[in-house]
Amino acid sequence: MKRIILVGKPNSGKSLLFNQLTGLKQKVANFPGVTVELKSGKFEEFELVDFPGTYSLSSISTDESIAINQLHAAMSDKNTCLVVCNLDATKLERSLVFALQVQQLAKQHNKSVVFSLNMVDQLTRFSHQIDTKKLSSQLGSPVYALSAKSLEGLSEFSSALKEHAKHPETAVIQCPTIDNDQSARAVKFAKELAKEHAINQDIALKQQNSLDSFLLNSVAGGIVFLAIMFFLFQSIFTWAAPLMDAVESGVGFLGELVASQLSVGVVNDFLQDAIFGGFGAFLVFVPQIMVLTLIIGLLEDSGYLARAALICHKPLSLFGLSGRSFIPYLSGHACAIPAILAARTIESPRKRLITMVTVPLMSCSARLPVYALLIAVFVPNESYFYGWVNLQGAVFFCLYFGGICMALIVSKLLNTWMTAKDAATDLPFILELPSYRLPHWRPLMYKTINSGKQFIYRAAPIIFMVSVIIWVLGYFPNNGDLGSSYLAYLGKVLDPIFAPMGLDWRYTVAILVSFLAREVFVGVLGTLFSIENADENINGLAQQIQADGLTLASAIALLIFYVIALQCVATVATLKGETSKNRYSWGIFVFYGVLAYCLSMTVYFIIT
Amino acid sequence: MTLWELPKKKQARVTKLDDSMTSVLKVRLNEMGFVPGELLTCMKRTAFNGPLVIQIQDCVYTLDRQLAENIAVE
Repeated sequence: MKRIILVGKPNSGKSLLFNQLTGLKQKVANFPGVTVELKSGKFEEFELVDFPGTYSLSSISTDESIAINQLHAAMSDKNTCLVVCNLDATKLERSLVFALQVQQLAKQHNKSVVFSLNMVDQLTRFSHQIDTKKLSSQLGSPVYALSAKSLEGLSEFSSALKEHAKHPETAVIQCPTIDNDQSARAVKFAKELAKEHAINQDIALKQQNSLDSFLLNSVAGGIVFLAIMFFLFQSIFTWAAPLMDAVESGVGFLGELVASQLSVGVVNDFLQDAIFGGFGAFLVFVPQIMVLTLIIGLLEDSGYLARAALICHKPLSLFGLSGRSFIPYLSGHACAIPAILAARTIESPRKRLITMVTVPLMSCSARLPVYALLIAVFVPNESYFYGWVNLQGAVFFCLYFGGICMALIVSKLLNTWMTAKDAATDLPFILELPSYRLPHWRPLMYKTINSGKQFIYRAAPIIFMVSVIIWVLGYFPNNGDLGSSYLAYLGKVLDPIFAPMGLDWRYTVAILVSFLAREVFVGVLGTLFSIENADENINGLAQQIQADGLTLASAIALLIFYVIALQCVATVATLKGETSKNRYSWGIFVFYGVLAYCLSMTVYFIIT
Repeated sequence: MTLWELPKKKQARVTKLDDSMTSVLKVRLNEMGFVPGELLTCMKRTAFNGPLVIQIQDCVYTLDRQLAENIAVE
């Protein structure tokens, strides 16, 4: 299939254009050997590939250099028939600097270029219009004005794009000269063009600046920031609850349906306990992961995330981190793996290392099932202040906050231990504050659905396998008598490790198995309790644990253990890949494990 | 004077990017709009010597003290 590549500056409306052109049938591919995400989708009979946004074709950080190398490779590929370069009409000069570099690169590879002048709806508000005909002739490539948001000019663009892709010779670059000093020439030429075409910057930025003067205010901005963070954690609980209930009753309904169709016996027990009990207990938490992704996506697309990084820069720098560490930290609440990769944007190698090593302390979505289960067991579902503050949500917030505090303490320690020898190579902190925008539902919806799918794909095989193995060990040899099973025997041998915390062998097994991946904890307990309570009505797992009599002190100790311990093989592997040192992968794994054990033990003894 | 010393709501012109910075970084700053002669405005200074917010041409950036001290303005 012939390929069209889409490039552009970050925050230039490129993702939305990509979504509008391809619809929601996209696939996200990690190209072999690299972890830069390239989204591709079908546009008519062509493959459209969305490249990560970069500011320039000369790289300054690791992630940029990977994206740029990929772009070079795509440019020289003979299947690539056309390059679409997206311009932000409200920030014409900056877009043009990049566009001219892309144009020169494309010319070297004999590729045709089309420019999409995006976000013109923002200009019509100020009754400003860009003469695309003139701009086309000056740039030497066709320019199409459009808005991926208001859909203005989009159908014209997509039919033109189809024609250009079929006949790339219609968009052959006709720009005059290419000299060696690419960057300086591009900067100068962009300035000339912008002077002629661009909207007065003060008018375009007026709204943004007045909002910023409020949102970046030391007092008001701080309050808004905290309120947003609190709202984020509340909503994980309250918004996701109906969805989770729906999944739970769906799984329960299926379970009953299957049970009624099959005769009583081992097969029926297996399906009930291992599949619906173990695996089903885990599926319930997928909606929470999607809600979290949705809110982080909302913050990102609205432009607030960059402000949050700015607000956090000073406080985080006290702990040896950068404002940019905020983004890995925040996405670490969804999953540590992309967060560790996101740390590549951190300018200084040392701050990057500290960020990567501490990201696993953020309460990732795999911890959610464990927190949610234990909170449901112990914390009453009560609301105060007309339903704005939910007690379970508040406990949730405390757990998340505890993880963050722990990360900051560890960062500070690491920062004092590491010498300042590489401080000289530190790159400084500079960040563009993008314009505020109302997020568009399309890319957000895609991102949200995808996060759920990815989580299931990644975690499901291991949870499924563990559920089956645990069920086999727990069911045999005496067909369903857990107390005399192989697993009970094994658990009782290992029990002394967690017995001082008031936990019996079932929890010990669940904890030890969850060193593979935390969320397995819920699956294992789900399987064990369903074997045990096979004769009773199928209640939620939380009620079963409640009835079983887990003490408050043990539950708190367990929660603390899960806040700190690095129970995720995939994270350790990612850390090893990114740092290429065992010290920072397995070393950290052991360190957090020991720390978690000691702290939870201490807390247990203090409470009792 | 340096960009760090520029008071809030005041404008200045970039005069020089300090030579202590690597050439890669200087090229990037050029591409971001920090070219000698360019007019910039300090939009905001944050508490406790936190990062500055400046507007240069059509973009708003935030940058920290370390970088701002390496950009000469007048």
